[in-house]
Amino acid sequence: MKKQFQTKKIAIAVALSLGASFVSAQPSPIKIGVVTPLSGTYTPIGEQVKMGLDLAAKEINAAGGIGGRKIDLIYEDEEANPAVATQKAEKLFQVEKVDFLTGTVNSGSTLAVGQLAERNNKLIATTVSFADSITADKCSPNVFRVNARAGMQSAALAAWVDKEIPKANIFFIGPDYEMGRSTVSAFKKASTEKGAKDVGEVFAPLDNKDYSPYFGQVRAAKPNVIYTSVAGNDTVRLFSQMDEYGVNKGVTIVGASGTVTSQNMGAIGKSANGFVTGVGYSPKLDNPANKKFVADFQKAYSKLPDLYGADSYGLLYFYKAAVEKAKSTETDKVRAAMNDLSWQTPQGMKKMRAGDHQAMQDMFAVRVENGEFNIVGKVPSDLAIGPDTCTRF
Amino acid sequence: MLNPRSRAIRFIELLLLTSAVVLFIVGAILGDTFFLRLATEALIFGGLAMSVDLLLGIVGLLSLGQALYFGFGAYLSAVVLKEISPSFLLAIGIVALASLVLGWVASFIALRSKGVYFALITFGLAQVAAKVVYNTRSLGASDGMMGVPILQIWTPFGSLDAGQPGTFFVITFLTIGGLYALLKYFLTTPMGSLWHAIRSNEDRLPYIGYKSKGPKQVAFVLAAVVASVSGALYPMLRGFVSPELMFFSVSGNAVVTVVLGGVGTLIGPILGSVLLTSFKSIIGTWTVHHHIVIGIIFVVIVVSAPKGLAGLLVRRFSKIRSPEGGE
Amino acid sequence: MLESLQYIYAPQIINGLSIGVAVILMALGLTIIFGLLDVINMSHGEFYAAGAFFSVTLVAMGVSFWVCLLLVPLLLVPIGFAMERLLIQKVFHYKDRHILTLLLTFGIAMVLEDSYKIIWGANPIKPSAPISGASEILGVMFPNYRLFLMGFGALLILSVWVLIYKTQLGAIVRAAAYDKDMSSSLGIPVMRVYALTFAFGVALAGLAGVLLAPIYSVFPTMGRDFILMAFSVVIVGGLGSIKGAVIAGILLTQLQSISSLYISPVWSDPLVFAVMVLVLMFKPTGLYGSMKNA
Repeated sequence: MKKQFQTKKIAIAVALSLGASFVSAQPSPIKIGVVTPLSGTYTPIGEQVKMGLDLAAKEINAAGGIGGRKIDLIYEDEEANPAVATQKAEKLFQVEKVDFLTGTVNSGSTLAVGQLAERNNKLIATTVSFADSITADKCSPNVFRVNARAGMQSAALAAWVDKEIPKANIFFIGPDYEMGRSTVSAFKKASTEKGAKDVGEVFAPLDNKDYSPYFGQVRAAKPNVIYTSVAGNDTVRLFSQMDEYGVNKGVTIVGASGTVTSQNMGAIGKSANGFVTGVGYSPKLDNPANKKFVADFQKAYSKLPDLYGADSYGLLYFYKAAVEKAKSTETDKVRAAMNDLSWQTPQGMKKMRAGDHQAMQDMFAVRVENGEFNIVGKVPSDLAIGPDTCTRF
Repeated sequence: MLNPRSRAIRFIELLLLTSAVVLFIVGAILGDTFFLRLATEALIFGGLAMSVDLLLGIVGLLSLGQALYFGFGAYLSAVVLKEISPSFLLAIGIVALASLVLGWVASFIALRSKGVYFALITFGLAQVAAKVVYNTRSLGASDGMMGVPILQIWTPFGSLDAGQPGTFFVITFLTIGGLYALLKYFLTTPMGSLWHAIRSNEDRLPYIGYKSKGPKQVAFVLAAVVASVSGALYPMLRGFVSPELMFFSVSGNAVVTVVLGGVGTLIGPILGSVLLTSFKSIIGTWTVHHHIVIGIIFVVIVVSAPKGLAGLLVRRFSKIRSPEGGE
Repeated sequence: MLESLQYIYAPQIINGLSIGVAVILMALGLTIIFGLLDVINMSHGEFYAAGAFFSVTLVAMGVSFWVCLLLVPLLLVPIGFAMERLLIQKVFHYKDRHILTLLLTFGIAMVLEDSYKIIWGANPIKPSAPISGASEILGVMFPNYRLFLMGFGALLILSVWVLIYKTQLGAIVRAAAYDKDMSSSLGIPVMRVYALTFAFGVALAGLAGVLLAPIYSVFPTMGRDFILMAFSVVIVGGLGSIKGAVIAGILLTQLQSISSLYISPVWSDPLVFAVMVLVLMFKPTGLYGSMKNA
């Protein structure tokens, strides 16, 4: 009797210690917090961010992770509200103790979370916010941006407009808030420097339903180019109404990178044909890395990636390269590794400029035709980037 | 022996006080940051809810735009702290005075109406103000203002660091508690009785020799000050302000917490705010569809327990008493 | 001078009219529910959205747009009826019922909006207009569908007015609203009449959704598009007054349309709001409101 119990006890003890050693032998995962809008108006963008990050995490983990450690993505909904974003980011920093954080979409959230990151001595990156200020006058030593900023997008577009329609008469239509206005002024500056003429502007409220009251003004100005920085549902309405009223006849419509994306493309339909924008990504980029990325993305999600999905995907590889170079996840070491780091992305090689934490990449002029983003122009990264105006570090 | 209503209120007061003390002690021992800050945020929004309850539960006016004063206090506080001096007392003092004036001016527009119209006017005022702030470059426009410094608060016992979560939690608790005590004091004065009378039957008031305009104005201004001072605490906690603080969702949430906690109790809304904040934080992690969950809970409460949690407590305390016989 | 009248003002006026018809359709349901039932329906915009979503799905299944115009409102009637009967009537007997119904419908709006996102996804959908092409009026091009909308909308508004003021059914509804107990003692099933009236009001909103979807596109948060404007129209026109809703609707949308020529468009909403406040300050019952609704 006693002997049997003895054997049982020993067996259990051995099994437990084997199990324990097995568990402790697994290195702890690298936790990356993602604070992104998963409800509200910006949900479509948050969804692309999630899809891009998930795909990259899956690939990296399948290949062994970062330095042998798997990536663990922890998501929180920021509702595109900086107040909610900071609360959730603090939870991720303090309770989940994430090593790195990303996902913020609007610039208010990115700035607020960036400030929090400084106070927590952690690093964050944005893959969507394109307000110039984030890597210019409001730059932060703890904030990195892997996507192209507004100035870069305007440079690519202005170059194309100058080539195809030199000395154009441009009319500007934008949503009346910081992003809408600054995008318009960035392009206005870039294009007028090249000789184009500003023939008028209208700023409609955000979520404006009806643009027909402004068409009289537009017609009177007789532009041959209309630039717009609307996005999401506003684009659907503006474009279809311009089509209905014939405002787009004989006019080339150009605009910001967020104006026509895979999310609202379906709703805009053929009114989007001929639209040209300056952007850092198109699913039709012709290089092996992108072809593989687009194929994998479609297989996983039955959707095409857009710039948000692609840049988010590229972010994890950026982080991987930095951590492997620094051989650590400590903030100061990773930051140092990120400075001037070059890494492979679906858009080709990108380089993170140390002076302002802005990623440099080739920019493209892209035209929408029948639901596809065709590349019609390119500006190399050093010409597109613009000066480093960050003075904080 | 207190009546059931006062017992319910006393119960909630004690509940909040003890949980605050427990949280502070446990938080200080464990070196926690997140939960203390979350509780501080809940208290700040609880202050806003209290101001909504003052108008709704005591005087009988539903304000759908209290976020205007909350945001006003937050922005003004941020500006004072950044541009003038990082002083707690200065910020609070300036906000209190400025909101007094703002509330007084706004009362002339809003108090021309009552009931539904009042609700819609307050809603519209907040929408307009939010839009103006959203588009004003000098206030940071849609990005808001960053970089509010961490305060060193002077006390006779030495300087307190507001960056310490536990410290600022206590300071916020004392501030909101102070506002609560102030309002409770008002309720014991003749003004308070007039407020209750207005809520019961405003038209009768002139028959007993009182005008309703004066007391309503006092309540309105007081509510503006309470909301603004609560808002002034926000940038001290989070280091920034943004236009979202003035959006309708903030006013709407305040109303939800008032109904949840118990209309007319003043302390109920604070309890409601604590519960809703924790709830949102937890639910938000499980599912992105937290709006539906909160919406359903809210609908259920409105339909089955319109007096909120405080009301449920009152019912329970009444039942305990009934074996003693009729009253 | 004549040229500016033709090319600048006339288009603004005509555009204003097409927007005005949309707003009036929304305001009609709201003022009927508000004025006759004393219920503030914060979820009205969500029924507008429901109509749009339903029509999108039905059209995708092959149903013709014209059939949708009839079918979708009919689908919304039982939903509105159930909501009134099961939820709103529960809080109706309280003294603070104004506030409680406001809160209740506010909560329902939250639930509905998120449901749309879950069922149809967050991306916008745009159904194509059933009438294409544009016609030239006074030298300016107008989409034919919008012209149709103005005509059809005017017809609708007229029919609603006739229904409420010139038919026996309308008389029953008005009686039940005016004096519940008296009507009940005359044999009118008051509770059912209330529920039906509510259903009718939200069905109107849904119909507006079907009609406007090709112009304004369909997405989960679309319920918020018109709500402030609709409430302003109802208040300025006077609670419960259809004539008031029509006149206020035209006035306010024309104000918006013409003012956009002179001031930045961002200020047009505040302007409308300012007008609403002024009207409230000097004539609290609105232009045509009755004393009972003060």
